[in-house]
Amino acid sequence: MTPSYNFAFLDEDTKRMLRRALLKAVAIPGYQVPFGSREMPLPYGWGTGGIQVTAALLGRDDILKVIDQGADDTTNAVNIRRFFARVAGVETTEHTVDASLIQTRHRIPETPLREDQILVFQVPEPEPLRTLEPREAETRTLHALADYGLMHVKLYEDIAQYGHIATSYDYPVLVDDRFLTSPSPIPKFDNPKLDRSPALMLFGAGREKRLYAIPPYTKVESLAFDDHPFEIQRWEHRCELCGSAESYLDEVIVDDRGSRMFVCSDTDFCGDRRAEAQA
Amino acid sequence: MMLAAFADPVFDSQRTFRELLQAMARPAAPRRLPVLPPSPAPITPAAMAILLTLCDATTTVWLQQPEQEAVRHLRFHAGLKLTEKPQDADFALITEPASMPPLESFSRGDLRYPDRSASLIVQVDGFRTDSGARFAGPGIRDTQTLAIDGLAEPFWQQRAALSTQLPLGIDLYFVTAQQVVALPRTTRWLES
Amino acid sequence: MYVAVKGGEQAIARSLELLAEARRGDTAVPELELAQIREQLRLGVARVMQEGSLYDEELAALAIRQAAGDMLEAIFLLRAYRTTLPRFGYTEPLDTTTMRVHRRVSGTFKDVPGGQVLGPTYDYTQRLLEFDATQPVAIQPADAPLPGCMPRVLDLLDAEALIERIDAGDDPEPMDLTREPLIFPADRATRLQNLARGDEGFLLGMAYSTQRGYAESHPFAGEIRMGEVDVCVCPEELGFTIEIGAIKLTECQMINQFHGGNGVPPQFTRGYGLSMGEGERKAMSMALVDRALRCDELGEPNYAPAQNQEFVLSHSDSVEASGFVQHLKLPHYVDFQAELSLLRTLSAQHATAQVDVQPADAEPARMAEEVQP
Repeated sequence: MTPSYNFAFLDEDTKRMLRRALLKAVAIPGYQVPFGSREMPLPYGWGTGGIQVTAALLGRDDILKVIDQGADDTTNAVNIRRFFARVAGVETTEHTVDASLIQTRHRIPETPLREDQILVFQVPEPEPLRTLEPREAETRTLHALADYGLMHVKLYEDIAQYGHIATSYDYPVLVDDRFLTSPSPIPKFDNPKLDRSPALMLFGAGREKRLYAIPPYTKVESLAFDDHPFEIQRWEHRCELCGSAESYLDEVIVDDRGSRMFVCSDTDFCGDRRAEAQA
Repeated sequence: MMLAAFADPVFDSQRTFRELLQAMARPAAPRRLPVLPPSPAPITPAAMAILLTLCDATTTVWLQQPEQEAVRHLRFHAGLKLTEKPQDADFALITEPASMPPLESFSRGDLRYPDRSASLIVQVDGFRTDSGARFAGPGIRDTQTLAIDGLAEPFWQQRAALSTQLPLGIDLYFVTAQQVVALPRTTRWLES
Repeated sequence: MYVAVKGGEQAIARSLELLAEARRGDTAVPELELAQIREQLRLGVARVMQEGSLYDEELAALAIRQAAGDMLEAIFLLRAYRTTLPRFGYTEPLDTTTMRVHRRVSGTFKDVPGGQVLGPTYDYTQRLLEFDATQPVAIQPADAPLPGCMPRVLDLLDAEALIERIDAGDDPEPMDLTREPLIFPADRATRLQNLARGDEGFLLGMAYSTQRGYAESHPFAGEIRMGEVDVCVCPEELGFTIEIGAIKLTECQMINQFHGGNGVPPQFTRGYGLSMGEGERKAMSMALVDRALRCDELGEPNYAPAQNQEFVLSHSDSVEASGFVQHLKLPHYVDFQAELSLLRTLSAQHATAQVDVQPADAEPARMAEEVQP
């Protein structure tokens, strides 16, 4: 642990500011709380929101897992884990079941989470309406009025043009029947895991200076229409390493003729299944 | 002679915060606070733990009973700003719920920024989970049963009236000597 | 057989070693000393201090060396360090009328009290590369010393009531953008803070656009001054003001034509820019953009990018912009896979539609990756 910095890098005033904002975020599910995001020693867009949320939560007894694209060993996940090992000296793990805190980018672990775990999402763009309405003053008003017509029109136009909704990740959700919320750029495959999750889920957007939360056991509905219900990605393949037919798969190109194979994106889940199969 | 605050500020406030976060995420369920700092009357140690964990020079606090010793203690250890107007408070400490001002005296936030609303810390006599009202809402799997002793009847009517204004609202932390229960604005009171 | 990619930790460690080696370059060449950077690359140091929001020449020099001269990386290093610094207090507002001036020019009057003072400027260097090593120059002393402080050119116009009045007493306590999130609409003090930290290149482009018809600007450089200003604090326990040092600043006040509107009579209006150290291009750009952003207050039509405060203020920061543009090099396998799957479905549908139209020569459609209901 680097001694010249406070535990978990942030000073106590900053942690208190984050903690107050997090409590309000939990009290107003899906609402984006503005917060005084600090300049972190990692670049904006690389997880500074998630890192600040994790730093505000972290204690000596925590066991931290960091994943990017579902994997513990991608360079950015390694770097963030290394950062917290350095500035907080906390125990880290690659096993979902052993972690008390999980920071993630773009995935929710396949292994179901428990009540005693907290999932922290890194969020690049917290505003689900941003691509439809760039002005923050305007999107704030739309949320105040719960006026989500823009999004419904966009989804409806997809159906008119393509025959179905053409959003495959960062698929918008309605939290507790009130706030339209970005689930962060997780594939829509993961959206059902947000609904009534036993674990608390916190979202941090450092560059945009917003954080929000989905409390446990909260209704999270992926937007859809009666005649076009929400559906998730499925594969004709199984994972070629563990044989799973239920997990989200990464496509890997294995030779220069473009041959490909499909493997689990969640490396811990895949590894556990292979270990069980061998046992 | 002034009383001490948290013995280990970094980790005492971290552990307290994690309990508060779980309390807010799982409303109407009592949790024991892990660290109970010394506290001058009329503030209970559990209320003091919350104030020390969440308040500093950037937060405005309203005290129902601003006793001199308590004010001195809070100013010295937390540096917080005190206000005499309930509507200006980020946090309000209710030490005598029977005579507390109506809930609508506190800020409910504005529609574009509903987070700019008050959090109330209310010192009560006790919690019971085997009888009382049933609560439901985000954070509660089915329903949660809870009775809070020491609250006056109008309180629940005032809170019910506020619920029509969601997402505006007031978030509540009830404390006894050692325990905390949170009721965010979204928690619905079903029936007794 | 495919083996999952492992060893991120090792790869990072090796990359850091390569970076250190590349940064140092040929070890036969002496390493740059911080004093050399501070003294001989002072304009780079000034920019890093300004956009890094920290006035410390030594740390800025260190950041420039560590970043191998990449100014945006140096600014980022300084910002990240700044986050961890405790605050001991707040200074009194700086008074630039008391500036000990090294340079002061005005484009509005041929001569002004205190005179036009060129000072050290690249303006008239003719930009010929100087191939010979620079020799120490013997400085010719001026006939008379410059006055201790000079009146502001704009205050001279103020006496004639031709320029908008700024009442310093009316200024609300500014919010602190390094501690609080930017909220729209942002007041002028907040906008100026944002512009002060903003990327010089971005502001330069925005300022330039106002001169080319994207906002009605009609600016004159009322005054540009550069020099030292004392920094004072008033510690609560003392109850009186003490001077803790001096910093070098560049200040620009633009004068802009204004035909009246929003109940304000025709008069000149002001745009303001301020930068740490010698940062004239930055201060001038900032002043032009500041004035353009006042369009709503002055009842001017708001149509140009430089007048759109959400557009300007949300995209001015190089640390934010650089991070987010470059985050695209992080893995996006999962989302890309989701898009691939969607595109295959759309493409298969498209092919099916083609088959329906021309059943004779069309290829059979590929199986959709996405299960249709």
